Amino acid sequence: MTAIDHDEEAVVIIGSGAGGGTLAYELTARGIKVVVLEAGPHITNDEYVNDEWAAFSQMAWLDPRTTSGSWRIARDFPNLPAWIVKAVGGSTTHWSGATPRFLAHEFQARSTYGAIDGANLLDWPLTLAELAPYYDRAEIAMGSTHRHGRAALPANNNYKVFANGAARVGYNFYATGPYATNAEPYDGRPASVQDGFNFQGDKSGAKWSTLVREIPRAGATGHLDLRPLSQAVQITHDQTGRADAVLYLDAAGGLHRQRARIVCVAGNSIETPRLLLLSASSLFPDGLANSSGQVGRNYMRHTTGSVYAQFPDPVHSYRGETMAGIIADEARHDERRGFAGRYYLETLSLGPAFLAAFADPGSWGRDFTSILDGYAHTAGLWIVGEDMPQETNRITLNGSVTDAAGLPVANVNFDDHPNDVAMRDHGYRQAELLYDAVGSISAHRTPPYPSTHNLGTSRMSARPEDGVVNKFGRAHDVPNLFVSDGSVFTTGAAANPTLTIVALAIRQADHIAEQLANRSL
Amino acid sequence: MRVIRVAFPHAQLPDTAYEKTADALIALAEKSPRHFLALSSGLASLDTLPAGAFLDLNAMDATARLRAIEHTEFFAFVRANTVLTLYNLPEVWEALGYEGASFDKGGYLTRGFNDLDWLPEPRIEEYTGELNHVEIGPLTRQVGAASGPAESASTRDEVTK
Repeated sequence: MTAIDHDEEAVVIIGSGAGGGTLAYELTARGIKVVVLEAGPHITNDEYVNDEWAAFSQMAWLDPRTTSGSWRIARDFPNLPAWIVKAVGGSTTHWSGATPRFLAHEFQARSTYGAIDGANLLDWPLTLAELAPYYDRAEIAMGSTHRHGRAALPANNNYKVFANGAARVGYNFYATGPYATNAEPYDGRPASVQDGFNFQGDKSGAKWSTLVREIPRAGATGHLDLRPLSQAVQITHDQTGRADAVLYLDAAGGLHRQRARIVCVAGNSIETPRLLLLSASSLFPDGLANSSGQVGRNYMRHTTGSVYAQFPDPVHSYRGETMAGIIADEARHDERRGFAGRYYLETLSLGPAFLAAFADPGSWGRDFTSILDGYAHTAGLWIVGEDMPQETNRITLNGSVTDAAGLPVANVNFDDHPNDVAMRDHGYRQAELLYDAVGSISAHRTPPYPSTHNLGTSRMSARPEDGVVNKFGRAHDVPNLFVSDGSVFTTGAAANPTLTIVALAIRQADHIAEQLANRSL
Repeated sequence: MRVIRVAFPHAQLPDTAYEKTADALIALAEKSPRHFLALSSGLASLDTLPAGAFLDLNAMDATARLRAIEHTEFFAFVRANTVLTLYNLPEVWEALGYEGASFDKGGYLTRGFNDLDWLPEPRIEEYTGELNHVEIGPLTRQVGAASGPAESASTRDEVTK
């Protein structure tokens, strides 16, 4: 790893996940010097543990956060609004792997859906046609199955139930992917051994993450200075309003200042707005890049829910690639269903420890234990669809709760929109029909987990007054400040977000490199 | 232990699983005066209600007794920590039919990841038939519950295509 002096003006990227890790690789590959500040430790594949709670303790972002609003998370998990990773590689080290693309109309949500009460819908300043070449590059980088010649993963037990059920209810658009885990050796990484641990660290390296691909390749360029255990606490600026440095804390609490020619924030949709709000100054009294007042607002988490169905015969759904099963027939905008937007059904399986914790939080007694008693005969799926952006679903600084450094923690306020509820209920019903069609004897509806898809909060907009960043993720208010993660999503769309975050980061890297080359940055 | 077994009844679990969970809860409570007080007074109160000592109640009456106190700090402590402890025990995983970590054994690749044999082998590739994926508007054909028997010729044709 290359050491970059604290007084050298580097591109400083905050976060090393899907957005930050990808951006670091794409820039260093062009010879641009990059400092990556990663809040978490550098955990390697051989250190990962295949045990749900042990892996959670090892990887999850457990710094204090608070919650408010009517969502059930505020009652069941008041200090765990999101289940994301604090480590080099970010949440790409525990993501499932599903890589569907957005559809064209999802970039024009406001125009397609019209005005919806309570929803702060806006069209993206970007089209599918503009992003399509970057989707190709992202899929090739990540090795998405079913794409660019990559083989499909085989059917595991959970998929067999899921796909047969899909066929019997009349669905057609189901498959074991696209999914960014190797079915065959690819890109220097092995094929999946179907070890069953996908929401934990992947010991084999078959699953794409920035930990196994982008970070080591960026390191090999000689232009990367990766600093784990470095928590960014403020972005500073000069008298003209250009970002000029990032202040961060090391593991011992020591404060450092890294000079920056460009700052790229990729801390996921809770920490990114928190950092912008913490960076308020006399020039930017409401938070950095927040003249629109939209920083922290329009927090989205996808409309989700799970159904676990039991069968007379064994399933053993925990064996194999957890989410290598996707149904896209309901992934259409069809107002006759009673809601706007679309959703996917994707296979899902938890071990007994997490199923007990998340199946019906707060519940006990025989209704609860029956969910676990049928564990080996259980098939499961996840509903994942677009949720409505709402201005009041919002990340703010909590003035009364502080972190270890004494800084205000993020509060996450969230209420479901009626559209979200209608979509979730539709998904639950379709999932029950699907499992009934292959002989289920019971089905249990599980509420949304702590958020794994955290989106919005620094959204792209054509006009500065409507959002925080432009179509390249550059802040409307600060010319050399970029946001490089899912915070920039103008609307959530239905697809699992990682592929789109990677595609946007590759596109942003091209833009930054071009601007640096012609000295306009 | 009786409280835990009544609240989380599983016929197939060994007594040792409940014993270990009870021990873990007591050890946890001993670290916090507040929890220790809640646990001690909660257990004591179970025997002071008119229906008789908790240990002498049948399962239905014991469950009703717990339902009456489920919003107390005592029961919340027992419930939350039982969920975290009991279902994280390897002997419970085994009793429920969960095999856990597999990487050191080569994953489940040759150990049953696809051994389900009571349904036909489904298609794994994406759909390549005549229908187009609908992006906006209703599906072009009816979707709902299964209309025919599982092994009908048309169904089999579809799932094996």
